[in-house]
Amino acid sequence: MSEPELEIPENWESRVPGDWEWQSLWTAVEEGDNDYSGERVQQAIDADIDARVILDDGLFPGFNLQGNRFSEQLIFIPEMLITARAMKTGLALIRPLLAAAAEKPLGTFVIGTVLGDMHDIGQSIVTIMLENAGFNVINLGTDVHPDKFIETAIAEKADLIGFSALLSTTVYYQKVTIDEFKNSGHRDKVHILIGGAPTSQEWADECGADGWGKDAMAAVILARDLMSESRVAWS
Amino acid sequence: MKELLPRERFIRTLRHEPVDRVPVLYRMKHESKEKLALIYGIDDTSTGRSHNPELELRLGNDAIIYQVGINADFSHHHIEIGETWHNHFGVGYGKSGLKGRTPEEQEIFAKTQEFWGAAKVVPENFPSFHPIKSMEDFKNYTWPDPNDPKILAPIKALCDEYQDDYFIIVDLSSTLIEAAYAHIVGTQNFFLMMFDQPELIEGVLDGLCEYYTELGKNAIKMGVDMIRVGDDVGAQQGMMISPKQWRELAKPRFDYMFKEFRKANSELFIKLHSCGDYSPILSDIIELGADLSGLLQPAGGLANRQKIKSDHGEDIALIGGFDVQRLLPRGQVDEVRHGVLEVMKSFAPGGGYIFSPSHYILADVPIQNIYAMITAQQDYGTYGKYPLD
Repeated sequence: MSEPELEIPENWESRVPGDWEWQSLWTAVEEGDNDYSGERVQQAIDADIDARVILDDGLFPGFNLQGNRFSEQLIFIPEMLITARAMKTGLALIRPLLAAAAEKPLGTFVIGTVLGDMHDIGQSIVTIMLENAGFNVINLGTDVHPDKFIETAIAEKADLIGFSALLSTTVYYQKVTIDEFKNSGHRDKVHILIGGAPTSQEWADECGADGWGKDAMAAVILARDLMSESRVAWS
Repeated sequence: MKELLPRERFIRTLRHEPVDRVPVLYRMKHESKEKLALIYGIDDTSTGRSHNPELELRLGNDAIIYQVGINADFSHHHIEIGETWHNHFGVGYGKSGLKGRTPEEQEIFAKTQEFWGAAKVVPENFPSFHPIKSMEDFKNYTWPDPNDPKILAPIKALCDEYQDDYFIIVDLSSTLIEAAYAHIVGTQNFFLMMFDQPELIEGVLDGLCEYYTELGKNAIKMGVDMIRVGDDVGAQQGMMISPKQWRELAKPRFDYMFKEFRKANSELFIKLHSCGDYSPILSDIIELGADLSGLLQPAGGLANRQKIKSDHGEDIALIGGFDVQRLLPRGQVDEVRHGVLEVMKSFAPGGGYIFSPSHYILADVPIQNIYAMITAQQDYGTYGKYPLD
């Protein structure tokens, strides 16, 4: 597998003032320089650069580079976390502008660790990756009762639900939660993804999930793909 | 070959010498222990600091493993609903599976285990309060006493009672990186502080290193055969931190610790364990002079058992490799038997291998699968007989 490379957005110069550069922000996000990321995004806002352009041309390249390296195990959790933090800082500044421009999120994703399980490193990373990929993510934390997933899905008209489980003793609750979605009559309105150490595609099929992600990047790609598949609409 | 004493079998295996059969080491959480104890007619099923090894010895264990590290209490201690219980490190622990539940509901919930089948879900104890979140916390922090007679006396008692026949292991897990992230500092804090406040992380790791070095030396004085350090740095598919970070943060401290241990007893055996896939640092662990490593969870990145054995099997003894994430809790009896056969074929030829599930036997394992594993291990774990002929 070849070393992932920085993907420079095509014609980025055409979307910014003449003397503008993004390289320093790409590097800041790549290296997890939180302070500079916020500073540079603010400068971009002040220079009247469109929020969507800041996100796509300014923040994503460095983040995607690290995401791909994380997937290839060239970098590890600490590096991914600081990159995600730098990305998040920039994103927080432009989010109100994106909302004002009626930019819709890719979808609403409700995520949590199933009942009985307190592990949250994996689902925290998936949350950050999904947020950065443009999803509106509602993280219910750990030890989440099936009813809580269902209530939140209804209230938020969720598109996707994701359950994490680390233990073989708690993974069963992925199935229980899916069954509870069926009992509540809302199963067909959401796509359900599962993940976590004891899970597999086989288990996803068995417990009735719509997809399984081997790692955080796989979860994002899967979530994007599932958004284009049909579902019963929330009324 | 004549039948060896469990102790001899274990020691000879660590030295890669011929043995009569593959030694075994089963560990279980109290739910599984209680299920099995009913069948074996054993009353005392204590785990953790008050561990009673009788049941494990009946199942065929060749060694006794006794926990004294930060994990010794928390996963075994009875924590009440809504309670935050603090251990001697000042870490607070609560119980999962409780949000929004009344005590009555909780009681019903706890009874959802099925004796003959998979458990629904079992409440687990988890760290909920981390005592060091800032430099100020660190400066005010008092490390526990490694000379605490309450910790040390039971080690002596175990050696006196069992060491003629059995191999005695004292377990210091979790020891360093894991003790810091999972207990003392908190996981996300730990990973971010590696960049934001590296001196704080170094300080916490130094404190842990000193405490455990002293505790280990005290255990060695009690006469134990092996010190086990456990430090989870492997995730399902690969390492949590980079091998380079591990070499900077953990390796020199383990090097110091192991040298101090061997000064106290040059014949001491040492085991270094990590959960998950830690194969990128197995060579380093060998370089540190560890005699044993595992437990080699095969469902993720460590799936290629033959490669682990051929790459490292001559330089270090290996333990584990039998899948507890899927096969043991979810498999059918014949699949479990077949799984044991495959593990034996991969790891046992040439010796230097101890059979074990890749972690504790948890509450969700059906009793018939535990039985199937044990009988398969007896059937397939004898040298000179199929598949080890």
